[in-house]
Amino acid sequence: MTLWDLTQGASAKVSRFKSSIESGYRTRLSELGFHPGEQIACVLSPSMGAPKLYRVNNTVYSLDDSIASLIEVA
Amino acid sequence: MPTTQASRIALIGSPNSGKSLLFNRLTGLNQKVANFPGITVNIASGQSLDNKAVQYLDFPGVYSLQAISGEEKVAVEAFTSALQDNLLDAVVCVVDITRLEKGLIFALQVLETCHRHNIPVLIAANMLDVLDQHGMQFDCSGLSKALRVSVLPLSAKTGAGLEQVSQSLADATVPPEKFQSDIIASDDSVNHLHAQELAEKYGPKGDLLINTQTQLDSFFLHSWLGGLSFLAIMYLLFQSIFTWAAPAMDGVEASIQWLASVVLPLVPAGVASDFVSDALFGGLGAFLVFVPQIFVLTMVVGMLEDSGYLARAAVICHKPLRFFGLTGKSFIPMLSGVACAIPGIYAARTVESTRKRWLTYLAIPLMPCSARLPVYSLIIAAFIPAQKAMGGLIGWQGLAMFGIYLFGILCALLVTAVVSRSNAELRTDLPFVLEMPPYRLPSWRPLIINAWNRSKHFVTKAGKVIFAVTLVIWVLGYFPNYGASLGDSWLGTMGQWIEPIFAPFGLDWRYGVAILSSFLAREVFVGTLGTMFGIEGAEENFTSLAQQIQDSGLPLGAGAALLVFFAIALQCVSTLAVLQRETGSWRLPVQLFISYSIFAYTAALLVFHLVELLV
Repeated sequence: MTLWDLTQGASAKVSRFKSSIESGYRTRLSELGFHPGEQIACVLSPSMGAPKLYRVNNTVYSLDDSIASLIEVA
Repeated sequence: MPTTQASRIALIGSPNSGKSLLFNRLTGLNQKVANFPGITVNIASGQSLDNKAVQYLDFPGVYSLQAISGEEKVAVEAFTSALQDNLLDAVVCVVDITRLEKGLIFALQVLETCHRHNIPVLIAANMLDVLDQHGMQFDCSGLSKALRVSVLPLSAKTGAGLEQVSQSLADATVPPEKFQSDIIASDDSVNHLHAQELAEKYGPKGDLLINTQTQLDSFFLHSWLGGLSFLAIMYLLFQSIFTWAAPAMDGVEASIQWLASVVLPLVPAGVASDFVSDALFGGLGAFLVFVPQIFVLTMVVGMLEDSGYLARAAVICHKPLRFFGLTGKSFIPMLSGVACAIPGIYAARTVESTRKRWLTYLAIPLMPCSARLPVYSLIIAAFIPAQKAMGGLIGWQGLAMFGIYLFGILCALLVTAVVSRSNAELRTDLPFVLEMPPYRLPSWRPLIINAWNRSKHFVTKAGKVIFAVTLVIWVLGYFPNYGASLGDSWLGTMGQWIEPIFAPFGLDWRYGVAILSSFLAREVFVGTLGTMFGIEGAEENFTSLAQQIQDSGLPLGAGAALLVFFAIALQCVSTLAVLQRETGSWRLPVQLFISYSIFAYTAALLVFHLVELLV
């Protein structure tokens, strides 16, 4: 299951990044708080495939499917 | 660090850490402060308010010293080369205390880098006011001891703690070497584990995310409520550009006319008087009239940025725009371009990805700007009957206007879709990861000062180029017969030379001259055509000019071709000049000018033949 599959209101822990992710993006996502073991909540999932809103600590980020589907959660 | 002698202090921090607001507080300079990630593009500098010898430098906000985009690379290199060249005496690393873990990951990188260059560091723990609001605290001295550098709690918003900045800077020390081996590790995962540990140990405890943010997001990003509010906000934006700016635009026009009436009698009649009247007051007046529009648009877009809504608008528009190779962040620049390409190009600064910004630059000049409106109105009045259908609900002229506006927007999207698909580099770009800033009420003073600076930039920088071209067009149109007849002037002669170019879509030399002169500004087309048909004040009196065009036997296909030509061609010196200023080179403006001229010509030719075939 990936971060993109997380439904609104659900939360999960980041398990790993997919191997296809570029190392630069992986580092950046880690720096923003999306690192393995971190609890992420999907706070809003707008319709029609718009980027979803995820909460990490006290920050909310909007991620589109191209990047959220590269983060595996459990 | 001694602060009695001249010293330079860098401010560095992540987007939304409040760094630019702190800079404004410290210098009183009011550099642009926006509630939208990545707004600081240039390095601003300013003298400290309490010590003129101290100069603060506001470096662009970055999430990390390990850059992943071109824009970030520029910012990080600017910072590291300033350290290497010994240009800095100290570094203030601004950290949002409410998001301590994220801030510390960045701060640890800064400490490590500053240690290597032997530069003292002060950690500014910003957003103290938010902690106070929630009745929370953090262990400042514990964090300072763990990091082994000074940590100063402050609020850039309220000014709390700012009086201690000078003293704290004087006491700031170089991060010790031992610290590096204790906490810093080159491995990123270890780095953020340390940040997490420090945040848990010394950071504020509890839930700081304001619930209203989530509630407002549920509304503004709701399936249909979000869409409705988006349309309502965009409607207000348009109203502001056209309605609120109108009195000021009339005022500018009236002032220029008044100034001309005062100055002209003092100028000796002849060439000098004609020059002052036509080139100076006429040419520059036509360009200065757009300044209020730029001011109002910058203000309103600034309000949207500051309020936090712009980030939400980017989320709404991201998916549809991505199909065309753009990003959600391209939306506001393109929308601004509907009023005038110039503020649109300025607004594109908010697109932090260099490639997407470049694609946005391609789209903006094709958006149906207000200068095209007089041209469209004239041609539509000449060819489309002022009749209504469906019981008066639909006017054919209005429908034609809607159609040509839509055509411009579709052309813009088509160009970006084709260009982005033709280049693999443009396709693969930064993924869409956008921090959602908290909603807040905009601060008026920085907004007004920013709008004023933007307008000033337009007048002083683009104005020079516009004046130079005005001069050339005026000389060509005035000589050798001293303004007696535009048709016999050098411009008229050139119009006759280029007649074969426009003849394939049914236009004679008079239209050629009008098109040539419209390269100054599109709306000049109407005035020039009026002059060619011997009508004074054609801008205010469309009907007689439209009648003249009808009587001249211009075919319908030629009218449609003219509409299409004006929808695509980049006949705007101001746009080209501002593009040059923003990209730092003439390459893109020249490329765009040539390619859009060819595109416009080909499309006009096609439309002419298509219409002639059908009618």
